[in-house]
Amino acid sequence: MSDPRKEHVLVWDIPTRIFHWTIVVLVAVSWFSADNGYLRMHLWSGLTLLALLLFRVLWGLLGSTTSRFTDFLHPPRKVMAYLRGHEKSLYAGHNPAGGWMVAVMIGVLLAQAVTGLFSNDGLHFTGPLALWVSDDVSTRITGLHGTIFNIIVVFIWLHVVAVGFYLLVKNHNLVGAMVTGKKHPHLVPAGLNLSFTRLYIALLLLALTAGIVAWVFFQGVP
Amino acid sequence: MSDFGPGRLSAAAYFGCVALLTALGLGVAAWAHPAFLHSSLQTMGLEAVPHAAPGSFYVTRIAPLFDARCLGCHDDTRAKGQLRLDSFAAAMRGGRDGPVIEPGNPKGSELFRRISLPSSDDRAMPPSGKTPLTADEVTVIKLWIASGASGELRTIKGAPRPVVEVKIPESDLAAVQKQRAPLAAALKQLQARYPGVIIYESRNSADLEVDASLRGAAFGDGDLAALLPLAARIVRADLSGTTITDAAAPTLVAMTSLTRLRLAHTKITDKTLVALVGLKSLKSVSVVETKVSDDALAPLRQHGVATYGGGNE
Amino acid sequence: MSDFTSDELLAEYLKVQAQTRRQFVGWGAGGLGALFMNSAMAAPAAPHAVPASLNFARDPATPLSVLPPQFGAKVKRVIYLHMGGSPSQLDLFDYKPVLKRFHGHDCPQSFLQGKRFAFIQGVPKLLGPMFPFHQAGKSGAWISDRLPHLEKQVDDLCIIKSMKTDQFNHAPAQLLVHTGDPRLGHASLGSWITYGLGSENQNLPGFIVLISNGGTTANAGKPLWGSGFLPSVYQGVPCRSAGEPVLYLQNPQGVTRPERRQVLDAVDEINRENFKEFGNPETVTRIAQYEMAFRMQLEASDAMDIKKEPAKVLESYGAEPGKTSYANNCLVARRLAERGVRFIQLYHWGWDSHGTPVDEGVNVGLVKRCKETDQPTAALLADLKQRGLLEDTLVIWGGEFGRTPMWENRGGQEMEFIGRDHHPSCFTLFMAGGGIKHGISHGETDEMGYSIVRDPVEVRDLHATMLYLLGFDYHKLSYPYQGLDQKLTGVKPARIVSEILA
Repeated sequence: MSDPRKEHVLVWDIPTRIFHWTIVVLVAVSWFSADNGYLRMHLWSGLTLLALLLFRVLWGLLGSTTSRFTDFLHPPRKVMAYLRGHEKSLYAGHNPAGGWMVAVMIGVLLAQAVTGLFSNDGLHFTGPLALWVSDDVSTRITGLHGTIFNIIVVFIWLHVVAVGFYLLVKNHNLVGAMVTGKKHPHLVPAGLNLSFTRLYIALLLLALTAGIVAWVFFQGVP
Repeated sequence: MSDFGPGRLSAAAYFGCVALLTALGLGVAAWAHPAFLHSSLQTMGLEAVPHAAPGSFYVTRIAPLFDARCLGCHDDTRAKGQLRLDSFAAAMRGGRDGPVIEPGNPKGSELFRRISLPSSDDRAMPPSGKTPLTADEVTVIKLWIASGASGELRTIKGAPRPVVEVKIPESDLAAVQKQRAPLAAALKQLQARYPGVIIYESRNSADLEVDASLRGAAFGDGDLAALLPLAARIVRADLSGTTITDAAAPTLVAMTSLTRLRLAHTKITDKTLVALVGLKSLKSVSVVETKVSDDALAPLRQHGVATYGGGNE
Repeated sequence: MSDFTSDELLAEYLKVQAQTRRQFVGWGAGGLGALFMNSAMAAPAAPHAVPASLNFARDPATPLSVLPPQFGAKVKRVIYLHMGGSPSQLDLFDYKPVLKRFHGHDCPQSFLQGKRFAFIQGVPKLLGPMFPFHQAGKSGAWISDRLPHLEKQVDDLCIIKSMKTDQFNHAPAQLLVHTGDPRLGHASLGSWITYGLGSENQNLPGFIVLISNGGTTANAGKPLWGSGFLPSVYQGVPCRSAGEPVLYLQNPQGVTRPERRQVLDAVDEINRENFKEFGNPETVTRIAQYEMAFRMQLEASDAMDIKKEPAKVLESYGAEPGKTSYANNCLVARRLAERGVRFIQLYHWGWDSHGTPVDEGVNVGLVKRCKETDQPTAALLADLKQRGLLEDTLVIWGGEFGRTPMWENRGGQEMEFIGRDHHPSCFTLFMAGGGIKHGISHGETDEMGYSIVRDPVEVRDLHATMLYLLGFDYHKLSYPYQGLDQKLTGVKPARIVSEILA
C-alpha cells in the first residue's frame, strides 16, 4: 500500500449510521416479536421504525451529502452501466446500485410499518389505526403485512449478499464503514468535498417525526 | 475501487456459496413452515392432495364443527397463524408452526391443546370473547384425532351424538288455504252450530281437532253424525262425557286420519271399539269409566294403539 | 247484551285500536310518507300495520276463545308444580358420591372466588347428600329415599339436572321462572299461553293458580301470575281447595242468581256506555270478566269439589276434602285439566332450606315438604297417565334455583340446623308428559354438584321448549309493548332443548 493519503475519510455522519444499525436491530426485534406473539413489543418496535424511516426520508432531503437522495439516486442507465461493470468511478456514499437498494428498502419498510398500523391478529391485538377501517379491510391489510415481510426478507438477503460480495470478492469492507463512518482513502474519489449537517438538526427532525408518529398513534386510541 | 487488492474469493466461488446458502435457507424455511411447503407442492401438483371420503366422520362431524366454530378466522382468506381448516388437506397441513394435528395423539396435537385450554388463557381457541367449544365438541375432536385423524373412518365409538337444533315448521299460508278451501264452507257452518268444538289443528294445517267434552250431555249421536262431512280431516277427537252411544261408530270409523280418540265417561261399548281397529292412524284411545272390556282393547293394542281405561280399571 | 252486539263491539274496538298513538307510530317506517301516498293516490287507507307476530286478534267479548297453535302442538295444557323456596337438588335427584366423601371438609377456594352468595360468608364446610340414594326404575335414575312414591313414576320423568339461572334471590328468580324476566311487569307463563291459545272451557279461567303451605308466602307475590303488559283478562286466577274456591265469587247471602244477573246487566250497561265514550279496550275485558265470573259460580264450585272423587282416588293422592293442601291441589289440577283449563299453576312453599329455623332445615323442613308433596305429585302423574291425559299435558316440577353443596354458615357461624344456601349455577327440574322423552336425565353437574359440566339449560331455554311443545315458535308468540315485540324468552337467544324432545 504505497499511498500518500493515510487518513481514513469520514463519509457517513452519525445520524445515518445510528439509523442504519437501529433499523437492523428493530427489524430483528419486529421479526422475533411477531413470530413469538409479543405483540406489545412488536407495536413499539414498529412505531419506532416508522419514526426512524420518516426521519430518514427527511434526512435524505436535508441531511449530509452522502445521506441525500440526490447523492445516491442515479438515472437507471447509469445504474445498469454500473452493474455491467462499465462504470468505474468511486463513490463516497452509496454506489448507484446500492443507492436504489437503500431507497427500495426504505420504501418497503415504510409500507410494512404503515400496513402494520392497520393490521390485527384477529385475537387480542389490533394495530393503532385498525379500528379506522372495516374489519374486512384490516384483515386484508394484515395479509399484505405478511406478504411485504417476505419481500423484506428477500431484500435483506440481497443486501447481505451484495455487502458480502464487496467484502469477500472485492475486498471492500462496507460494514466497517457503516460502523466507523470512515472509508479507506483509496475508496473515495479524490478531492472530495463532503458537507455534514449539524447534529441538532437531526435531533430536531427526529423529534418532529417521533411527534408525528405519536400523534398518529393517539389518533387510533379511542 | 480497483487496485485495492484481490478479494479472498473469486466472484464465481462467492456466488456459488451464495446459491448454496440460499438453497439452505429455503430448505430451513420449508422445514420450519411445512404447511407452506405442502401447500405449494400440492398447488403445483407435485404432491397428492388428501381428501376426506363422503360420509366419513371427518365430513359429517368434524368439518361442520370447524365450519361453525373455526372458519371465522381459519378460512382461505384469513388463515390466522397461516392455519386453514376449510378442507381436510389444509387441516392436516397445519399452520405457521407446523402440523396442528398429530394423528393418534390428541395431547400432542396443537389444535387439541388450544381448544382444551381454559378460556382465560391467551392461547385458548376460540379466543377469549368468543364462545368456547362445548365439552362434547372437544370430545368429538379428541376422539377423531385419537383414532388417527382419518378422512376415511365413518364412525367412532363413544363419540357424543351431534347436537340437533329444532327446526320450526315452515308455514305456507297459501298452500294451507288451498287445502282448507274444499271444506271451508261446511266447517264454518258447523263451527257456528257448535262454537268452540271444532278448530284447525294448527295455523299451518287443514286438519281438524274436535273437542265436545265440554258440551257434555248437550252433545249426542246426532251431533257427532253432523260432523260426518269433515270426518276425514279430523285427527283428534275428544268426546269424553258426551251422550254418544255405539250409534256413533259409523262416524268414528269415517275419521280415517284419527290419531287420538277420547271416549271416557260415555255409553260406548265393545262394539264400537272393535270397529275402530280399521283406523290405521290411530295412536291412542281412552275409554276411562266406560263399560268397555279389556278384550275389546286387546286388538287395538296389538296394532300399537295406546289404550287407557277399560275392563281392568 | 242488549243493543250492542259483539260484532259492533269488535268494530268499535278495532276503531279505537286504530286511533291509539302507538298504532299511529306503528304504521311503520313509511310514517308521514305513507300518509301522503294514501291521500295523494286516493288509495284506501289501511292503517293496520302488518303484524310482526302471529295474529291473536279476538272478539273482545270472548278474549279467551280458542285459537289454533302456530304448528302441530304436542301438548294442550301445562301443569306447573312450583316448589317455592327451591328444594335441594343435592338431597333429592342430583346424587354426588364424591361430595359425600368430602362431607365436612372446608369448601375449596375455587368455589368461592369471585362468587356472591345470599348468606354464605368466609369458608363454609362441604355438605354431602343428607339422605341415602339408590337407582330406580328401568331408567336407573338416582333418587333419594325421601321420594318413595315419585320413585314409582321415575320412568315417566325427564329429569334436567343442568338448569341454571342468573338470579340468586327468591323474588327475582321466581319472576324469571314464571315471567321470563327478573323484574316486575312481565306476563307470566300462563298468561302468554292463554293469550296464544285461549281456553277450551269458557266457564272457567284459562289460567288457574293453586297455592298450598301459604304460611310462607310467595316471595315475588301476585306478579308471578300477573298478565304484565298483556290484557288483564289473561292473568292467573287463584283458587282455593278449601272453603269458597274463588273468593268473592259466590253471591252474598240473600242475593239470588237472577238478582245477580240483574245487577250484572246494569253494570254491563254502564261499562258499555263507558266504552263508547272512552274506548278503553280494558273496559270490554272487564265486561267479559264479569260474565265469566257469573258462569264460574256454577262451574268453578264443581271443578274444585274433590268430594265428588271416589275414596280410592282421594286416598291415592292423600287428599282430604275441606283442607288446604298440596294433595288437594294436585287432585284439583287433574280435574281442571279434564275440564279444559289451559294452564294450572301450583305453588307449594317452604323449600327454602337454609337451616336457620328448624322448619328450614334440610334434615327437618325438607323432609316435611317431601312428605307433603311426594305422594300427591306421584299420584297426579299416575292419574294423568292412567286417564290418557299425560299424552297431551306437560307437567313441570321445580324450584327457582338450586342449593349449594356447602353447609350454610350465615354470618360466618355454624348453623344450628343443616342448611344450604341459594345456588343459581345449577338446579334440577323434571318434566313429564307429551312430546318429551321419558325415563331420561339431561345435563350433568360436576362431582361436587357445584357447576354444570354438560348441556346447560337456561330458564329461557325451558320456556322456548315449553312453547314449542304447545305449538309455538318462541319468536312468534309476541306482543307489542313499549316499542318492542315482547316475548316470553326476552331478547337473549333461547334454545329449544332438542335433546329432550321425543
